[in-house]
Amino acid sequence: MPKRILIADDDPGILDAIGIMLEFEGYEVKCITNCASLLTMESNFPDLLLLDIWMSGTDGRDVCKQLKQKTSTNKIPIVMISASKDIQCSALQAGADDFLAKPFEMDDLLEKIEKYI
Amino acid sequence: MLSQISQISLAGYQEIFKNSPVAMLIMDINTPVFTILDVNDAYLSSTNTNRQTLVGRGVFAAFPANPTDEESKNIERAIFSFEQTINTKKPHAMSNYRYDIPVRGTNEFEERYWTTTNTPVLDENEEVKYFIHSPLDVTELYKAGERERKGAEALYSQRQQLYSTFMQAPVGIAIFKGSEYITELINPPLCELYGKTVDEMLGKNVFEVLSYTKGLGFEELVDNVRLTGIPFRGEGIATPLFRNGKLETAYLNIVYEPFRENNGSISGVIAVAIEVTEHVNAKKAIEEAEERSRLAADAIGLGTYDLNLLTGEMVTSKQFACIFGFEDPVSRAEYVERFHKDGLETRAKALEEAPKKGKLLYEARVIWPDKTMRWTRIEGKVYYNTEGKANRVIGTVLDITEQKKAREEQQKLITLVSNSVDLMSVLNLDGSNSYINEAGRNLMGYNTDEEVSAVPLTELHAPEMIDFLRNEVIPTVMEKGNWSGKMMMRHLQTNEIFPVYKNTIRIDDPVNGKPINLGVVMRDMRPELDAKHALANSEELLRNITSAAPTGLWMSDEHGAITYVNQSWIDWTGISYEDHMGAGWLKSIAEEDKEMASQKFLKDSTDRNLHETEFRINHADGTIHWCIATGKPQYCSTGVFLGYIGACVDITEQKNLQQQKDDFIGVASHELKTPVTSIKAYTQVLERMLKKNGETKEAEMIKRMDGQVNRLTSLIGDLLDVTKINSGRLQFNDREFDFNSFVRELIEDLQRTSEKHRLVENLAQTGVVFSDKERIGQVITNLITNAVKYSPNSDKIIIRTSVKDNEVNLSVQDFGIGISKDKLDKVFEQFYRVSGNMQHTFPGLGLGLYISSEIIKREGGRIWVTSIEGEGSTFCFSLPLKKLAEEL
Repeated sequence: MPKRILIADDDPGILDAIGIMLEFEGYEVKCITNCASLLTMESNFPDLLLLDIWMSGTDGRDVCKQLKQKTSTNKIPIVMISASKDIQCSALQAGADDFLAKPFEMDDLLEKIEKYI
Repeated sequence: MLSQISQISLAGYQEIFKNSPVAMLIMDINTPVFTILDVNDAYLSSTNTNRQTLVGRGVFAAFPANPTDEESKNIERAIFSFEQTINTKKPHAMSNYRYDIPVRGTNEFEERYWTTTNTPVLDENEEVKYFIHSPLDVTELYKAGERERKGAEALYSQRQQLYSTFMQAPVGIAIFKGSEYITELINPPLCELYGKTVDEMLGKNVFEVLSYTKGLGFEELVDNVRLTGIPFRGEGIATPLFRNGKLETAYLNIVYEPFRENNGSISGVIAVAIEVTEHVNAKKAIEEAEERSRLAADAIGLGTYDLNLLTGEMVTSKQFACIFGFEDPVSRAEYVERFHKDGLETRAKALEEAPKKGKLLYEARVIWPDKTMRWTRIEGKVYYNTEGKANRVIGTVLDITEQKKAREEQQKLITLVSNSVDLMSVLNLDGSNSYINEAGRNLMGYNTDEEVSAVPLTELHAPEMIDFLRNEVIPTVMEKGNWSGKMMMRHLQTNEIFPVYKNTIRIDDPVNGKPINLGVVMRDMRPELDAKHALANSEELLRNITSAAPTGLWMSDEHGAITYVNQSWIDWTGISYEDHMGAGWLKSIAEEDKEMASQKFLKDSTDRNLHETEFRINHADGTIHWCIATGKPQYCSTGVFLGYIGACVDITEQKNLQQQKDDFIGVASHELKTPVTSIKAYTQVLERMLKKNGETKEAEMIKRMDGQVNRLTSLIGDLLDVTKINSGRLQFNDREFDFNSFVRELIEDLQRTSEKHRLVENLAQTGVVFSDKERIGQVITNLITNAVKYSPNSDKIIIRTSVKDNEVNLSVQDFGIGISKDKLDKVFEQFYRVSGNMQHTFPGLGLGLYISSEIIKREGGRIWVTSIEGEGSTFCFSLPLKKLAEEL
């Protein structure tokens, strides 16, 4: 049973590229562009969430905080991804388990995913 | 009568005539010749003549006039007598008349006096036929009478003269007779001397009349002369006399001679007296004057000398010696040695000219043994001997050092006055100028000296000032001593009326305190007024400029308090000028920048730094504007700090543009990263897929593509970093790490990407630093990649680390193109790139070193470079080594 990874990003190119990358590595990938669905997620939780910080209209850190506050979702490892290295701190403060700056080396991503799954 | 004597023959008469002892001459009546008809022997004998030279000749031809005797007029008298005889037909006689006789054989005449009778001889018609001239030589008789008369005359005249002499003699003479000394004779001078009249004296005992002289020894003196016959002579004998109503002491030179009778006996005393009181007093006065002048000479430092020009011997006073620095008089040669050599020529010249001029005068310096220099003035009068040869100089020497100094001072003052740019003049009390300096002449337009003294005050002043001058200025000066104020003057040549500032003072006589002159100092106010105008104009201009400037201008004092802001600043802030003063200006600063702006300014002011700060201000319209304030410390000419003069420029627009640029670059970089992230992901997946399929070559190409994507990522990162630096948003995550092992890792990684260059490690023990590891890594990477990039023709890079002064140092040395000296400072600037003809061959945005230097600075370190163009560069940085103590 492949591990399921949920990718939340507002850029389809990123979703596509990371999706192909993770699928190539044998993960089951689901992509969403709308954060709203994350918060209403009741079941079928992924094994890991890759969460972009800047998503059109939504701050990924707020979403992260809420997910970590909900008992149903607070066990899901969250790796936050951002084009800015400088917000690593705030990402971790928001409850993210790890942080990755764009653009990243494929091995770095895989390493972090394996660490939590 | 002839008939009665006719019994005597003619010859008998002739004989009688011829021999008669009475000299006779018979002359014709043919006036004026008077021919001699006959002459008898007695006549011939008495006139030293002979018959042949006389008979038949005119009487005056025979007896010409004596040319030496013009006064007796004998010829005229003889003719007169002859004619009387002829005309009256009666005998005529002349007595004692002079008729000189020629001495035979000579041109000489013999003086003769005659008594002559001319007797007419009548013919039958009672007419004069001829006449008999019968001279009697009375020469001896005449002369004897003459002598007697003259003797008597002489005797009389002698007596007259003697008496007159006696009476008029300038000396007093008297004869005192007998033992009672009765005044028998006394002349007026002696009476005057005694203060008596002749009558008071004559016939009286002299000692009774001159009672004050009694008992003073005069009686004994005259007694002695009268009894012994030995004369007495005394000079300057004090004699008490009652004269002019008072008793006074007269000084007399007295001679007492014995008065002898014809038989030799002494019957009295002749007294001769001359009053020498004045002489004595004068002598006393002279002695006193000499004493006084000697004292005076001593007092005023006047030395005296007496120089014998013939022997060169010189007698000097003690004071003379003192002036020359001697204690006592010395020889002339010794004095001469004391003269300053510069004065010797003057002295020689003066001495040479002295005999011609009759006086000696020169000034020279003398040097005392202690090197004291004194000015002396030598004066003297030259005396001449009977042959007119100068033989003596008597004179004085005066120490005029003080005078010289005073004169120098005076000269300086005169020079000062002459060269003053202000008018300076001295007026007589009548208003005429007695002196005016050059500046004054020019100011007033005087052409000649005559004008100076002749032009009246009224001509020199503007007509409307005359009354003021008369009624106000002059009375004030005379009363209070001075007046000063503005006055309108008139130029004598151009008639231009011009303003001056005039200061008039009353000059008083230093002795009696009475006003003697007025002194005037006058300054032409035109240049000053022009300057004021010019200043006012330039001030106006400056005010206009500062008001119009689209820049806030300000000034502060030495304590950092604002003292000036311009109109622009007031307009911007809407706060009044007064409210800006001191610390009031802070009211206009935006709340969030107030503290910073205030602190920064006060700190700069305290440190006298160039002030520069950026802050936001609240405009009157409610908008917020960015300003950059700059200020330069001001110092006065003596170097005392005065405060600042500065400007505030509104940089809102630039700030906005900068912000927009930074925002754009930030957004653009961010946006660029998204596709780059996708590309990188695709690339990496693709590489793995190809590798998995065994397509090694394709996989390798894709790997290189990934490398290029990394480069692109790096460039985007740089741009982002710059925007962060500019907006102050560059963040650091400091932590501890081992410096050397980190450097080794980086070198290892970089060596992998560099095939040509060998990265040589030369690392000394360093230890742990506390810093942002990634940012420091970024710097080291930047330095090494630069080293590789700019040394295309070498193959070695040396990386060194060391510790010094509690700092860790890292240097990267290359052997590349190097950097010229003038560019060294610029390499750390934003967008700097290697310039010159090689520029285009080196890629890059020119941001790497700028970012590196900003990182190092913000981490508390330093970054620098040394380089020799063409030989290579060494880039270094240092960071504080906080954990050094623990490591050791």
